[in-house]
Amino acid sequence: MKRREVVLYAILVALVSTLALLNLASGSAKLTLSETSRVLFSHDVSSVEGAIVWNIRTPRMVAAALLGGALALSGYLLQAFFVNPIAGPYVLGISSGAKLVVATLLVASCRYGFALHSSMMVSAAFVGATIATTLVILVARKVRNMAILIVCGVMIGYVCSAATELIVAFADDSNIVNLHNWSLGSFSAISWDDLRCLVPVVVVGSCSVFFLSKGIRAYLYGEEYAQSVGINLPVFRLLLVVGSSLLSATVTAFAGPISFIGIAAPHVTRRAFRTSEPGTMMAGSFLVGAAFCLLSDWLARRLFAPKELSVSTITAIIGAPIVLSMLLERKGGRRA
Amino acid sequence: MRELRTDALDAGYDGVALVSGIELAARPGKIVALVGPNGAGKSTILRTLAGTLAPVKGVVLFDGAELTKMKLSERAKALAVMTTRRADAEYATCYDVVGVGRYQFTGIFGRLGESDARAIDDALRLVGAFELRDADFSRLSDGQKQRVLLARALVQEPEIMLLDEPTSYLDVGGKLDFVATLKKLARERGIGVVAALHELELVRTVADEVVCVTKDGRIDRTGTVAEIFQSEYLKKLFDARSDAFDTTYGFMTPSGPQRANASPRVCVGNRSSRVKRLMVQGTMSSAGKSLIVAGLCRILRQDGFRVAPFKSQNMALNSFVTEDGLEMGRAQVMQAEACGIKPSVLMNPILLKPTDDCGSQVIVNGAVVGNMRAREYFEYKTRLTPTILSAVEKLGETSDVIVLEGAGSPAEINLKRNDIVNMGMARLVDAPVLLVGDIDRGGVFAQLLGTLELLEPDERARVKGLIVNKFRGDKTILDPGVAELEKRGGVPVAGVIPYMTLTLADEDSLTERFERRGRGLVNIGVVQLSHLSNFTDFDVFEQVKGVAVTYVKRPEETRGFDLLILPGSKNTIADVRRLRESGFESAIRAYAESGAPVIGVCGGFQALGETIADPDGVEGGGSIAGLGLLPVATTLRTQKRRRQTTGSFVAPDGPLASLAGLEFSGYEIHMGETVATRAGTSEFTSGATGLCRGNVYGTYVHGVFDGESVVKTLIATLASRKGVAVDLDGVVDYRTLREREYDRLAATMREHLNMALIYDALGVERHD
Repeated sequence: MKRREVVLYAILVALVSTLALLNLASGSAKLTLSETSRVLFSHDVSSVEGAIVWNIRTPRMVAAALLGGALALSGYLLQAFFVNPIAGPYVLGISSGAKLVVATLLVASCRYGFALHSSMMVSAAFVGATIATTLVILVARKVRNMAILIVCGVMIGYVCSAATELIVAFADDSNIVNLHNWSLGSFSAISWDDLRCLVPVVVVGSCSVFFLSKGIRAYLYGEEYAQSVGINLPVFRLLLVVGSSLLSATVTAFAGPISFIGIAAPHVTRRAFRTSEPGTMMAGSFLVGAAFCLLSDWLARRLFAPKELSVSTITAIIGAPIVLSMLLERKGGRRA
Repeated sequence: MRELRTDALDAGYDGVALVSGIELAARPGKIVALVGPNGAGKSTILRTLAGTLAPVKGVVLFDGAELTKMKLSERAKALAVMTTRRADAEYATCYDVVGVGRYQFTGIFGRLGESDARAIDDALRLVGAFELRDADFSRLSDGQKQRVLLARALVQEPEIMLLDEPTSYLDVGGKLDFVATLKKLARERGIGVVAALHELELVRTVADEVVCVTKDGRIDRTGTVAEIFQSEYLKKLFDARSDAFDTTYGFMTPSGPQRANASPRVCVGNRSSRVKRLMVQGTMSSAGKSLIVAGLCRILRQDGFRVAPFKSQNMALNSFVTEDGLEMGRAQVMQAEACGIKPSVLMNPILLKPTDDCGSQVIVNGAVVGNMRAREYFEYKTRLTPTILSAVEKLGETSDVIVLEGAGSPAEINLKRNDIVNMGMARLVDAPVLLVGDIDRGGVFAQLLGTLELLEPDERARVKGLIVNKFRGDKTILDPGVAELEKRGGVPVAGVIPYMTLTLADEDSLTERFERRGRGLVNIGVVQLSHLSNFTDFDVFEQVKGVAVTYVKRPEETRGFDLLILPGSKNTIADVRRLRESGFESAIRAYAESGAPVIGVCGGFQALGETIADPDGVEGGGSIAGLGLLPVATTLRTQKRRRQTTGSFVAPDGPLASLAGLEFSGYEIHMGETVATRAGTSEFTSGATGLCRGNVYGTYVHGVFDGESVVKTLIATLASRKGVAVDLDGVVDYRTLREREYDRLAATMREHLNMALIYDALGVERHD
């Protein structure tokens, strides 16, 4: 490993840990850092502080870190797939597709009165994400232009959102409030129970996509080239899509659609590490995404405390300028 | 090695054939070129051959097995594809990019191991891009990128490579460079190549087989370069109006006059693959390149290599005529001698003889092509690349090393485009370069650094050593400058060569010799005929201290010589006419009447006689009266007599009687027969090669004076006639003299050059 990578990984791990601790220490109940760490190490769930830290803040923090990382990875895979640096689950409408199916499931569960398990939410989101991705791929076959592809993704997102609105119109008032909070993106409601489903899916999913790194390395130089070095293109593409859909669907299922992390995190990683190497990009993006998400969640709670903002508001405020600067940079310094 | 071939193949998309009836085969070491207009389906064919596109009909077979049924990993190990689709991964070094090609050799995460690293480095070296190993790929020039992409295809260790217009983004130099590398690969690695190429001139240079695809999607013809390259056919194939033709093919105009030998079949032999090349370039003309090349040639020869000299283009008035009557530069003749081989026009395929300030007679492969203005030639020369390459190629068949000489300076930035003499040439044959500066004319550091500075980075990378030439004095004074030069230039100084005076004919010393006007104890005059040939006949005298050889230009200068020589001529009749008109005839007669010896050699011998008849029109027909000093008559014949001669001086009378009985060895090249018309002549040289009467001697034998005893006797006789004493110690025969000079040159260069560095640049192991 190069020096630069070692240093950056160390910085990122430190950053994620610090932000994680910060997240545990902050919330509507005032706890100092030392109190938090005391509670953490004593593992005392019986006290109020212990309950807050262990049962409310820890799951939320773990979810924010893992889902942020998953989102970044999903974005990276999509960018590799479409050979397009501004592709991401949010802009391509994949998150919205997941949201549509999850919303449908939510409304249905209330109307027909069955209990929802988080695995069902994940499955629904996965179905939605996959459908949206398939649509985007079909569009991508017809148009080779990056910008048009993105516009199509945004359109698919709008259609899905409109459909979601439609479904919401038939829902009960109380559900609407839940759905609204969820659809803006929030980690607030995540429990240990959710984590039992979330952690395996994200960990297994994230680890498996590392097996695609070798293929991506060749795929970066074009489909035809990838084929010529012996990649089974249909299988490889399918794995890419399934991997990215699964990761973004998991995020959507638990925290709603969260914007920009999928684009911004890989971009920041590429610039910081000065690499296109898929292995480094994946590991780096995951860490950057986790840090980004933890920071956003912390800011969402702290900025106008006790009022809590939605995570997407913060990710958009931080992420959009990053993406914008990237677009401008590409336009200016575009290589023929 | 196995082959890839098609069987009744139709290629296209979605079941619709774009090209049908494809029959072609890629064999180890052979280059197949696909040519045809845009949209003819060349890329489609290549995709189908690569197996990334399924055939519409028929099959692609690799080693007899159907390609579509092969395992992907097996296929990827057999076939490598290089396309022009340019997707740059950001921040990837060339090493990274090439490393991707190791896909089939690496584990599940694609980590590159030691053997991969070796393969990558080897491939980069092979395509001449090793110095770019750690450079950012996206920042390279197009030419460099193409090389790296070629290396990426190579690390797949393929048996067949498929290239889709690999040269399309390159400039002229880059294109030539690229195909030279491709050729090298095919030869050295035995890789079979199928390439869609746009530029017909490149096809002409590299292809072993040409496959023509028509606009309507048929394989129209398949054949060798010679079979396909008929301009009429190509015009039909491309269905081109002449203007569109030119723009499509850029600098390469396939129409127009082409010499038959300008379309070489590239020989793909293992022989020439081992040929090493080294180029010597100078910071200015007369920097001493010719002699340094000769010296290097001799050194390499002494070290057991078979060496040949080469200079793509010479500009000189005085040419050498080979045994076959072809013209070439004299410097390469001298260098060939240093190599111990016969001179050949292959060593100097292009010769320009200036006719006036901005025009020249252009001679290609020894024969006149025509007169051209400078600008005209500048355009024309781009077509000569194949001629040059094929000359190098042929020389390589009998050599281990070719030492190339540049012309003028490589930093003439106004002439850089389409250069074929300096860096363009070096690039063409992928030769390392030694740059020579001339300290005698001053400013040597500026010469060398300035030249380096004006070179492109890739050209500069070719320069492996600097040489300071013609140094006089104490080298320790120079040392700090040399150190600074190395530091600033980033190129090691291969040596500082002292100023040397050598008796070796080359183009520069020749002109100097004509102007020489000194007088010695013994003076020999050579009448400078306008068609003077074989100057070297009299070089042997120059080694003797006290002897002056003067070339006589005006009749009034004929007086006062101890010996007057009429040299050989390329056109005796014209020269006799000139002698008569200019008043030389009576001056020579007057000289002969004084009793001093007159010798005519070859054409000079014919001129001394009574008549020269040309019934067959060899020199323009008719007949002319000679100078009438010898009672002989000459008849010119179409049959050229060309042979090595040994014999002896038979019965010379008069002042040179002392030569009698001495043996000589020389050669005859003439088209005439000369016989005595009356009694009173005696045989001068044996074998009916020469006659004499009194003080007038004639012989057909060139080099008749070259023997040691002949020189000594002749000079001693002339000296005693005059009553002077000349030191004849150490006088040797001409051949020994020259050999000694070459050895002296080589020894001096060895002493002052870092030969290890030069061998290193050359890339050969010394067999010490």
